Amino acid sequence: MMWAFSSLLLLAAIPATFAVKAHDFKTCSQAGFCRRGRALSTRAAETPAWKSPYSIDASSLVLGTDQASFTAAVKSSIYPDVNFGLDVRIHDDGVVRVRMDEVGGLRKRYDEAASWALLEEPKVSQSIHWTIAKDSVRAKYGPKNDIEVVVAFEPLKVTLSRNGKEQVVLNGRGLLHMEHYRTKESVAQSKQGIPVPEEGLDTDDSQVVLQQAHPRAAWFEGETEDGWWEETFNSFTDNKPRGPESLSLDIDFPNHGHVYGIPQHATRLSLPTTTGEGAYYSDPYRLYNADVFEYLADSTMSLYGSIPFMQAHSADTTVGIFNAIGSETWIDVGRPTPKSTTTHWISETGILDVFIFPGPTPADVFAQYTRLTGTPALPAHWALGYHQCRWNYISSDDVRSVQQRFDEEDIPVDVFWLDIEYAEDHKYFMWDHKSFPDPVSMIKDVEAIERKMVVIVDPHLKRTDDYPVYKEATELDVLVKQKDGQNDYEGWCWSGSSAWVDFFNPKSWDWWKGLFKVNGPSHGWHWTESTENTYIWNDMNEPSIFNGPEISMPRENIHYGGWEHRDLHNINGMLFHNLTSQAVMERTNPPKRPFVLTRSFYAGSQRFGAMWTGDNLGTWEHMAVGVKMVLANNIGGFSFAGSDVGGFFGNPEPEMLVRWYGVGAFAPFFRAHAHIDTKRREPYLLDEPYKSIIRDILRLRYSMLPVWYTAFREASVTGLPVLRPHYVAVPHDEGGFAIDDQYFIGSSGLLVKPVTRKSVTEETVYLPEDQANEVYYDYFSHQAYRGAAKGKNITVPAELHQIPLLIRGGSIIPTRERPRRSSPLMKRDPFTLRIALDKDGSARGELYLDDGETYAHQEGNFIWREFAAEKPTKKSKGVRISNKNLAAQKLAEAVDHVALTTYDSGNDFAKSIAGVRVEKIVVLGLPAKPTSISANGKELQWTYTPGVAASEKKEGTASVLIIKDPKLSIAGDWDIVVQV
Amino acid sequence: MHPWLLLLFPLHALASTKRPHGVSLELAARYVPARKGSSEVWECLDGSKTIEWSAVNDDFCDCPDGSDEPGTGACPNSRFYCVNEGHIGAYIPSSRVNDGLCEPECCDGSDEAPGVCENVCKEVGEAYRERVRAEQKLRKTGAKIRSTYIAFAQKEKKRLEQEIAETEQEIATREKEVARLRDLVERTESLSAAALEVRKQSPLYQSLMTHVTALKSLQREYQKHLEREKALGDILDNLRTGYNPNYQDMAVLEAVRGWEHLAGLPHINDVAKGDESTAETGSDEEDGGEEEEEEEQDDGLWSELQLEHQLGELLNTDYEALLLEHDKLVGAPASETSILYNLSAYLPDSIVPQYEALRDQFVSWLEAIGLVKPAATASADTSRLQKTLSDAEHSLDLTRKEKEQKDKELQRLFDPEWYGAEGEWKKLDGNCLSKEVGDYIYEVCLFDEARQKPIKGGTTFSLGHFESWNNAPGVEKGSPEYYRRQRYTRGAKCWNGPQRSVTLDMSCGTENAVLSVAEPEKCEYEFKVTSPALCLPLSAAEEKGYAAAKKEEL
Repeated sequence: MMWAFSSLLLLAAIPATFAVKAHDFKTCSQAGFCRRGRALSTRAAETPAWKSPYSIDASSLVLGTDQASFTAAVKSSIYPDVNFGLDVRIHDDGVVRVRMDEVGGLRKRYDEAASWALLEEPKVSQSIHWTIAKDSVRAKYGPKNDIEVVVAFEPLKVTLSRNGKEQVVLNGRGLLHMEHYRTKESVAQSKQGIPVPEEGLDTDDSQVVLQQAHPRAAWFEGETEDGWWEETFNSFTDNKPRGPESLSLDIDFPNHGHVYGIPQHATRLSLPTTTGEGAYYSDPYRLYNADVFEYLADSTMSLYGSIPFMQAHSADTTVGIFNAIGSETWIDVGRPTPKSTTTHWISETGILDVFIFPGPTPADVFAQYTRLTGTPALPAHWALGYHQCRWNYISSDDVRSVQQRFDEEDIPVDVFWLDIEYAEDHKYFMWDHKSFPDPVSMIKDVEAIERKMVVIVDPHLKRTDDYPVYKEATELDVLVKQKDGQNDYEGWCWSGSSAWVDFFNPKSWDWWKGLFKVNGPSHGWHWTESTENTYIWNDMNEPSIFNGPEISMPRENIHYGGWEHRDLHNINGMLFHNLTSQAVMERTNPPKRPFVLTRSFYAGSQRFGAMWTGDNLGTWEHMAVGVKMVLANNIGGFSFAGSDVGGFFGNPEPEMLVRWYGVGAFAPFFRAHAHIDTKRREPYLLDEPYKSIIRDILRLRYSMLPVWYTAFREASVTGLPVLRPHYVAVPHDEGGFAIDDQYFIGSSGLLVKPVTRKSVTEETVYLPEDQANEVYYDYFSHQAYRGAAKGKNITVPAELHQIPLLIRGGSIIPTRERPRRSSPLMKRDPFTLRIALDKDGSARGELYLDDGETYAHQEGNFIWREFAAEKPTKKSKGVRISNKNLAAQKLAEAVDHVALTTYDSGNDFAKSIAGVRVEKIVVLGLPAKPTSISANGKELQWTYTPGVAASEKKEGTASVLIIKDPKLSIAGDWDIVVQV
Repeated sequence: MHPWLLLLFPLHALASTKRPHGVSLELAARYVPARKGSSEVWECLDGSKTIEWSAVNDDFCDCPDGSDEPGTGACPNSRFYCVNEGHIGAYIPSSRVNDGLCEPECCDGSDEAPGVCENVCKEVGEAYRERVRAEQKLRKTGAKIRSTYIAFAQKEKKRLEQEIAETEQEIATREKEVARLRDLVERTESLSAAALEVRKQSPLYQSLMTHVTALKSLQREYQKHLEREKALGDILDNLRTGYNPNYQDMAVLEAVRGWEHLAGLPHINDVAKGDESTAETGSDEEDGGEEEEEEEQDDGLWSELQLEHQLGELLNTDYEALLLEHDKLVGAPASETSILYNLSAYLPDSIVPQYEALRDQFVSWLEAIGLVKPAATASADTSRLQKTLSDAEHSLDLTRKEKEQKDKELQRLFDPEWYGAEGEWKKLDGNCLSKEVGDYIYEVCLFDEARQKPIKGGTTFSLGHFESWNNAPGVEKGSPEYYRRQRYTRGAKCWNGPQRSVTLDMSCGTENAVLSVAEPEKCEYEFKVTSPALCLPLSAAEEKGYAAAKKEEL
């Protein structure tokens, strides 16, 4: 929610002119190591005979006992005295991990990024083995034995190929450079011993002479010690006590024309180029978690979170890489040909620790990546409902009145949120009793309608002894230190003079978790003024520090273990989220699923809750780029994502607000939020027809909660994202690779294109390449559209009250269509099945359900059903509709984190919904009017409206069969026979 | 459904027995099956469809208007009627039927499956009646006070009418007086005007007039600058005390620090330093500032204070009188007395006083025998007369304004857009109600202005001036709803936002009081206010109910 620099806007006095304070944040040319990295790349490109100075000392190569890993010494020809060690492993799923570190250097490089991102230490393969050749070491593997990894000795180069086609190449362009540790003195000394070539001297400027690099390294490292020892940005001086230590690495995809991922940037899903001829952007993509006030809607600037995971895609294969680094990183993307992509990763500190995901499909890459960093946690069911937020609901009575207005208008909502003003002097947890005299009773009033409250807890602790949280943190000595490593760091944030807990310090963990206990541990402060249904919002965890460099923490600050903040900056926000999430989970016994929203994130954050795209603007551009950003986050493994509906800043006009609800209703995380300076804009405040349209959109979202929840189950088990852009859903269709304004929801077959433009009455939707001319049905009008062999654009109606939403032929969509005030109140409601027949007259769909809030599903308390519509015989025109127990069929992959071995279809949860029935079945695209429809020999009631059949080639309104209340259980096995 | 059907089915019969679940008494007559062959059918209330009677309340939505499921939650947007015996029947939206929650609106629990909700209508009904009784009691008490307000308005009317009549008389008298004086002045002026005009040709007088104009202009400009400086000072003071140091905007910070230095104010909200050092720095700067101000004044130049207070006086000099005075001293060449007057210039200083006394004596003799015109005296008389006239005119003007004011007051007295058709609000005109919330006292002086006064010192902000009663669309002027809100707008502008404004959310109460103050949107305040002026007397029906309830109570 937050923004750091309101005052600029205030002084500008033209509220319409939103602008990022770009000069608060570095460009590549303002960061010494990025400048050096880019200069290296330029020198390499300009030098035809460029050759990486790094090589493997073949004699040092040692294979691991597992044969799938090896270590070797690496030498650099420019610094022959410096030693590097290489460690390459192939995991049992074929993922290759390449690690390189300086050995015996002055200091240790930061090597803990992966340990925070990874679920656990990955298992090295027992079956794959390296073969050592004269110039290289190689491994061949894969189900078809088509993957080959080659590590060339001189120069060092790692290549992963499939069927002889290069997929991923490390150091192919010789940009690998690990700046070894040195001291100012040793650099000066070493230069004395070596005669400096005359022509290299600029005699007019002694400064330059002093700053000259090691002559032997100059061809590679450049002529000057550019920003090695100190640099200043916006009056902040970074003293760099450790000198130069950056890491540069080129990672190329010679046969992939598209790359995706590395969120978070406000840009297109298929990443535009930043380097090479006609580059779309001039600066590399930056990963440095930052609180960017009023960010640009089209930029490579870094934002609140960083996931250094990239996918490269072509019609043939998909591969991925994860660069486990926690420091600031810049990524140049080039596209030398339309079918190949180069990337160059420049990081400030850290070891080289790159994971290569061989694919070959997007689904494989997601599985490989999430096996490492974890799948998205299965959220509490209610968390998929609608969240109503504002900075700020100002009192308990305000909260009660907002709830009352929602109910008076019969608009569903699940969660009310409180931003920072609930807290006295912004001391989080401490209610401002002047405005919130009765917080627990207020929360109970919200819970009475089975709703929840989310309350903000930010990481900055007000430095005052009357704040028990700060006081305890001081006593425990778990605060981040200044560069001296002794004194607590003090910065400025909402709470004024503040300190930050160092969550890298294990001592902080139990203490932090204890704070959230409602009844509390026997010792220490705890939050008695909350309930076990009070959930948490973590904001400002980049961390955002108003008087810090780039609105964040000084890089020289010291964390646990003596690491500098610069080493782990991008991981910092995730730890806060991680611990808060654990705290919320462990509040109860047995634990309940936590809900914690974070603004800052890193690879692995998907395990801890939801994220949102930060402080967006109420503009059409931001609405549109928000869709792309949420997609990019889904690609980054972090599916539970959304952007502020309505835009954080500004006062959206009713049309924009309606469209924004259309966007939010089709995002995994659906929250409306607004800045304190904006007019109130809760849905009930709108005039007609806007109010009713928004009510309908919200009811649509609620009706589709079974679809969302089922998609989240799949994500939590397989790692496949909840939102699937075209390249993920239809990997072979080149026409869809660049599409990022429409997407599929899970495996449901729903294809949506939220409208993000003003004054639109119709929209173009792309139907993917399809040899069979598959049918797509409009969700609302049942209009049938036909795909084409080449991919095809169709025009669909998109008046203000309409959302372009199609069901792909062959899908069955389970919904619950009774409006309720909140999602838990729907748990007894019957289901509707929408069966969209495909060309062959069949369809399938899934439904996953459990109690929605505990972990009982991991003990087998859930239902997982498969609905199928099939022709009883090949020539039949009729259809048999069945409900089967998918849990029994695929038990091992039913729920996240456990492979169940037994499933009892009469489990506690199944019993609790035994009375929940299917009340309606809608069949689209039957070829003719049925003659009889029966279940268990009993005739059912139905109506039929003739129309286009799925098997035809025609477009037009599809035939619609409605089976009335078959009185069959959603959790039971049954068949319905439709005879035609 | 045809009207004659109503005759065939007596309402009470339907109501008690056959009415489908969730149907209200008023709609009961429409939920009756029709025969069609061997089966019973029913037409959706909107007439769009005929369905089997058995499909009514079968937990499946058949009718497009949702009317076939009055007793289940199957149709969105339909209504469920809870009979609530012992209390008052009520509709709830279908979204609340069978949702597992027991609504207070449906105290009999009929919207949920049997056993889910207890029937609490007895208690709810009792509590409701208790509440109604309390409300009515409050209204009765309030209405008594209100009637005194109305009586006050009547008295006001009489008072105003009488005062207006008196003022009218006064105006007539004053008009006569002005006419008399004007006549006198005109005649006197025409006598002396010619002589004065000649004297005004004096270069010294001309130059003096130019100086006067210049000085006036200078005064005007100076005043403008003073006001501007004050305004800027106010803005910067507000910035200094009101800016949010959390935003850490260096531009704002520099402006604040610059202003503190210039105005000799202590630092506030110092980010970098601890509290102690801040205080020190502040007082140091203050001392420095004072020193600077003690500049020595250049020989005889006016101080700021003199400029402020004495310049106006100086400019108010009667220049014509001065001109004549001057003539008296130096003598105009064209004047008969000039030589005599000028003679003093050639005399030694020591004998001048004696000479002047002698001379005046001499001149008066000359005047007496008609040799010298008493020009100066005539002019002085004119300007004295002039002053009397303008005073009289001014008084007339004031009296007229007074009358206008009273006319307006009288007009507003029973104007629905002002004090209400019965004048019940007149009593509260200018009445100030206040409430302390946090660090501020919020105050509204009805029909005038709302303010925010900081308790710990600082600027008082205007939150707005009375603008209107509830002017929301759809609210009829003069209706009870109309008087439930008052708008105060055009208050001090917010730093980063609109001009402050207040909405009074008013209800009946025995006291005039502000109950609470909230700021739901930045700089838009909401005061909850009670006033007896809103306590309408109970209607005859209400009165009867109240009496009955009272009896029951006893």
